[in-house]
Amino acid sequence: MLKTIIIGMGNPLLRDDGVGILAVRALESAVGTRQNVDLLELYTGGIRLMEEMAGYERAFVVDAMVTGRHEPGTIIAFSPTDFITTRHTISTHDTDFRTSLEMAHLLGLPIPNDIRFWGVEAVDVDTFSEELTGPVDAAIPRIIENILASLAD
Amino acid sequence: MQRITIDPITRLEGHGKIEIFLDDAGNVANAYLQVPELRGFEQFCVGRLAEEMPIITNRICGVCPEAHHLASVKALDALFGVEPTAAARKIRELLYMTFFVTDHTTHFYALGGPDFIVGPDAPPAERNILGVARKVGLEVASEVIGCRSRNHQIIKVMTGRGIHPVAGLPGGWSRRISEDERRDIEGAARKNVEFALFTLKVFDDIVLKNPAYLELVTSDIYLHRTYSMGTVDSANRVNFYDGLIRVVDQEGAELVKYHPSDYMNQIAERVEPWTYLKFPYLKKVGWNGFTDGKESGVYSSTPLSRLNVADGMATPLAQEHFERIYEAFGSRKINGHFQPIHHRLATHWARLIELLYAAEHMLELAKDPEIASADVRNIPNPADFKGVGIGSVEAPRGTLTHHYETDEKGVLRKVNMIVGTTNNYAPMTMSVKRVAEKLINGGKTPDEGLLNKVEMAFRLYDPCLSCATHNLPGKMPLRLIIRDKDGNVVRTLTRG
Repeated sequence: MLKTIIIGMGNPLLRDDGVGILAVRALESAVGTRQNVDLLELYTGGIRLMEEMAGYERAFVVDAMVTGRHEPGTIIAFSPTDFITTRHTISTHDTDFRTSLEMAHLLGLPIPNDIRFWGVEAVDVDTFSEELTGPVDAAIPRIIENILASLAD
Repeated sequence: MQRITIDPITRLEGHGKIEIFLDDAGNVANAYLQVPELRGFEQFCVGRLAEEMPIITNRICGVCPEAHHLASVKALDALFGVEPTAAARKIRELLYMTFFVTDHTTHFYALGGPDFIVGPDAPPAERNILGVARKVGLEVASEVIGCRSRNHQIIKVMTGRGIHPVAGLPGGWSRRISEDERRDIEGAARKNVEFALFTLKVFDDIVLKNPAYLELVTSDIYLHRTYSMGTVDSANRVNFYDGLIRVVDQEGAELVKYHPSDYMNQIAERVEPWTYLKFPYLKKVGWNGFTDGKESGVYSSTPLSRLNVADGMATPLAQEHFERIYEAFGSRKINGHFQPIHHRLATHWARLIELLYAAEHMLELAKDPEIASADVRNIPNPADFKGVGIGSVEAPRGTLTHHYETDEKGVLRKVNMIVGTTNNYAPMTMSVKRVAEKLINGGKTPDEGLLNKVEMAFRLYDPCLSCATHNLPGKMPLRLIIRDKDGNVVRTLTRG
């Protein structure tokens, strides 16, 4: 299997913002012991996200998104060439992920060829709480299915 | 009256909106920076055990978790009435210097520096770290990534986690540093010192030797003569981890020097109807509106203000650069203290001097044999329990204070924080107004250049509005709306 990192992004104290983190925690039992698969919780995007995937052949990222265009709990798959609108792929403190990726290519850093994002439409990302809203919580098993299926690619 | 709104600001944490009102003649009447506060953080914490706070508060922000972790742990030291061991104190400080190196480096090359290195008038899409790499050379970008990487690795080893540290405990630290680790840290610190010196040279070559940039830095467009605040050691030198809070006036005379636990007697908070975020000011001086000068209690808490309050730096190379910046601005030394610099763009320079200090001090600590001691924890004694704890550190963006109160079982009843950025809310508002006044007059329609000049006013403070509002949004595009005297939108500029 390709050397893979699965990154959950967000803040587990801010209700639906933590969906990426909780998805990665839920994956622990399914893939935690697999060779060549690492799990990571991350808050900052931009350069840090790029740095964390360096050295892997494949990177999967799960994050909350607030587009207002999808039903809560909807999961959308992105690639880095898509316009990425999840909450944490841009670090407002350094730069966005695409710029980071472009820099990585310029510098010849070992960035995975296969990078996939899953954005989960959130309801509430503004309230301090450790619990997801219903529709977002219900999306977690589907996120896991998506990721497990992609791991088998 | 016209109104201009910038909503929100790029490259900053958190949401914000700037509204600029114009008068009949098309000149700036008022400028407001609005920050929508998300409430509920205190309620989220109350009822929990106090010792959870270092691992909760470090999630307030992904940018400076180490600062929150340490301010929180120091508040717990006080709350449980326990002092960290000498080795633990040094380990905490070593961690903090490592963090400062990465944070200040990233700010300069990715956030604040592009305005100068790529140019203030370059298209926004090029004013980023990629533009810097193209301008200065790819090897510089490699150095930046290398600097981040080696320091992140040290943070990971020292704190137990790469992103949100968990190693701090009341009375010390949860793990010792091995001799092998100490050697690695020493090696990294040496590289950091070299890199900091190189970065100061980049600043020298690209900014200070360019007459146009030098004029921008020294012009009055970003000039505010406020009080300065920062933490100093017993010799009144800059200290990020511990010491007394010193405030100096516009000429550099000490207004007050106090223990961080006395902050409530020193700082008051002004409430304005147009924003949820409060404006801290010096109680001793009082609130006199968004003005500078001796009569106004507005103060700044930034890398520049930290230098302004200090008599010097605690490390030799940083001290040389400290003297250089004040000489460059023509400051005179009065009673052993340079007159403060009030030109806000000099904050970028001050930040690099702090970067050098952090690297040098990191090296000092890494070479200290005690840093690898196994004596990393004093266990709190129940008899010393205080039930109230206030801890503070200098976060990269300003003085950070955590204040907890608990019941007799250590369950939180009250939580209050004043974060780095909040200290600078009034000066930031003043800077925005000043820039707007300079660039908008007689109804002249502002262009993209206004947006960037306003952004530059923000970026120099390195603000983190998510932290200021205890809120953690991810993305922050920029919108600027101009309204006429009747409140109608004349023009909207959007970015991000």
